[in-house]
Amino acid sequence: MRNPFVMECGEFRASYKEDMALYKIPRVRYRVYAIIAFFAVFPLIFPEYYVGLATLCGIAAIGAIGLNILTGFTGLISIGVGAFLGVGGYTSAILTTKLGLSFWISFPLAGIVTAAVGALFGIPSLRLKGLYLAMATLAAQVIILFVISHWDSLTGGTAGMVLQRPSIGGYMLSSETGYYYLMFVILIFTAIFAMNLFRSRTGRAFVAVRDRDLAAEVMGINLFKYKVLAFAVSSFFVGIAGALLGHYTMIVSPELYSIQVSIEYLAMILVGGLGSVMGSIYGAVFITLLPVVLRGLIETLSVFMPGLEGVFAGLREVVFGAIIILFLIYEPEGLAKMWRNLKDYFKLWPFSY
Amino acid sequence: MPLLEVENLSLHFGGVAALNEVSFHIEEGEIFSLIGPNGAGKTSMLNCISGLYHPSQGSIKFDGREITHMKSYKRTELGIARAFQNIELFKNMTVLENLMLGRHVRMKSGVLSGGFYWGLAQKEEIEHRKAVEDIIDFLEIEHYRDQPVGMLSYGLQKRVEVGRALALDPKILLLDEPMAGMNSEEKEDMARFVIEIHEERKTTVVLIEHDMGVVMDLSDHIAVLDFGKLIGFGTPSEIQQNPKVIEAYLGEEQTG
Repeated sequence: MRNPFVMECGEFRASYKEDMALYKIPRVRYRVYAIIAFFAVFPLIFPEYYVGLATLCGIAAIGAIGLNILTGFTGLISIGVGAFLGVGGYTSAILTTKLGLSFWISFPLAGIVTAAVGALFGIPSLRLKGLYLAMATLAAQVIILFVISHWDSLTGGTAGMVLQRPSIGGYMLSSETGYYYLMFVILIFTAIFAMNLFRSRTGRAFVAVRDRDLAAEVMGINLFKYKVLAFAVSSFFVGIAGALLGHYTMIVSPELYSIQVSIEYLAMILVGGLGSVMGSIYGAVFITLLPVVLRGLIETLSVFMPGLEGVFAGLREVVFGAIIILFLIYEPEGLAKMWRNLKDYFKLWPFSY
Repeated sequence: MPLLEVENLSLHFGGVAALNEVSFHIEEGEIFSLIGPNGAGKTSMLNCISGLYHPSQGSIKFDGREITHMKSYKRTELGIARAFQNIELFKNMTVLENLMLGRHVRMKSGVLSGGFYWGLAQKEEIEHRKAVEDIIDFLEIEHYRDQPVGMLSYGLQKRVEVGRALALDPKILLLDEPMAGMNSEEKEDMARFVIEIHEERKTTVVLIEHDMGVVMDLSDHIAVLDFGKLIGFGTPSEIQQNPKVIEAYLGEEQTG
C-alpha cells in the first residue's frame, strides 16, 4: 500500500479514462472526499447560526458558478445576474403559491424559465462585446425588475410575495439543518456538472469563444448558438440559486434583486477567480461572509471606540470596493490562483529548487 | 472534377479591389501554392475560401457544392480546415484542449451529456482523444501536451496551429505562411510535416509561402497573385518561365 504521507515522484496513468478524470491523483481525490465529508457533518457540529450562514454561502456559490460559466468561461460579461436571480425566485414563488405546485416541480422549472429568459437577453451577444454587452445586460436587469415591480396581479408588485420552505416525504426542510442539506446536494451537483462541462465538447467550445472567437468560428463553432447556449446554461443555475434563496428567506421582492446584487455576484467571481469552478465557491463564501466578519470586528472594536457602529454602513461599501480593487491589481485570477500558488509552493517545500 | 473551384472571384473593400476576377482550380490530393508579393490578396483569397470574407462577385465550389455564401462554421463541417498566419490559438487552453477543439465538428455530445459526463460524452472524449494523440505523435509535441499554448515558443505554436487544423480530418487544409518567422531547422521540420500530411493522410494542401525554394519543391500547382489579379497559374516549371511572374515577383536572377 502506498504511503499517504510521502509525495510520489511521478504519476503514471495507463488509460485515457484515468488521464481525463476530474481528480487524477489519489491523494488529491482523498482530500476532496475529506472536505465533502466535513461539510456533510458541518450542521451536526456547528450552531444553527453558522449553518444558516453556510446555507447562504452555498446558495451564492451556485449562482456564482452560473455567472462564471457565462463571464469567466465564455467571456460574456453580464450585469443582469440580480434580475435573473429574481426570475428564478419569482417563478418558483408564483408556481407554488398561485398554482399550488410542489417545490420539487417549481424548482427545476424556475431554472428552465430563467434559462429561457437568459437566452432571450443573450441574443444581442452575437453582435455586442465587452462594454456594449454589459450595457445590454444592464438593460435586461432594468427591464426585468420593471416588469416584476409593475405586474401587480402576478408578482404582488413592490410588496413582493411570501413563500414556504419545501418538505420531502413529510419531513419539512424548514429547519436550518434540513435546508442546509438541500443546498449542499444542489451545490455539489452544480459544481460537478460545471467541471464536467468544461472537460467535454460544449465547455471547450465556450472557452474557445472566450479566447478567440474568430478562430473558434473557423474551427466549426456556431458562435450564435454557443453564445446563446452559454446564456441559457448560466441562467439556469442562477435561476435555481434564485429559487433556493427565495424559499430560504421565504420572501421575494424587487429590492432583493437590485443591481447591487449583480455587482456583488460579479465581485464574487472576480475575487474567486474567473474561469474557475472552485474559485466561484471561494469567492461566494468570501463576499457573503465579508459583511458578517466586518460587523463582528466593529462590534468588538466599539467596546473601546464607542460610536464606531454608526460608520458600519458606509465602511462596508468602502471595504467591498477596496477588496475588489486590490484583487484586480495583485491577483486578477483570484483566490483560486492564490490557492494554486500555495499548493505549488508546498510541492517543493522546503527545497524550493 | 477539381476539389475546389474558384471562378471569377472579386472582393472589394470600398473602392479598393483586393481580388479582381480570379479563377483557378485545385485538384484533389495535390499540394497547391498561392504566391505573390505582400498585399497581393493571398490571405484575402483564403479568407474567402474559409468564409471570413464574402466576395462581391464570382463563385467558389467545393467538392461540387456551391459554398460562396455558406457560413464559415458550415464549411468547416464540409472539411475545410485553416491554420492562420498570425497565430490564432486559444491561448489559455492546453495543447491537448486546442487539438480536441479541432475535433469539435466530428463530435456530437451536447450540454447535458457533457455536464453529466455519462455515456456518449465520456465515450466520445476517449475515442477522439486517441485521434488527437496520433496527431501529437505525428507533430512531435508530446512533451507539451498539458501546457497552455500561450507559454510555448513561436515555432511550437505554429506547429500546434497546424495540428489543430489537422485534427479536423480535413479534405483540404489551408496553411497561411506556416513557415513565416522560423529558422531553417524549423522550416525543414514544417516542410516535412506538410509532405507527410499530403502523402500519409492524402490531404489536399493549399500553401501560402514566401520561401520560393520550399514552394517550388513541394507544389504540384502554383497560382500567382499580384494586386488582386491572377498573373500566373501552372506547374512550378511553368511559373518559373512565366515572364509576368518574373517581372512582378520572382525577379531576373532566377531565370539565369
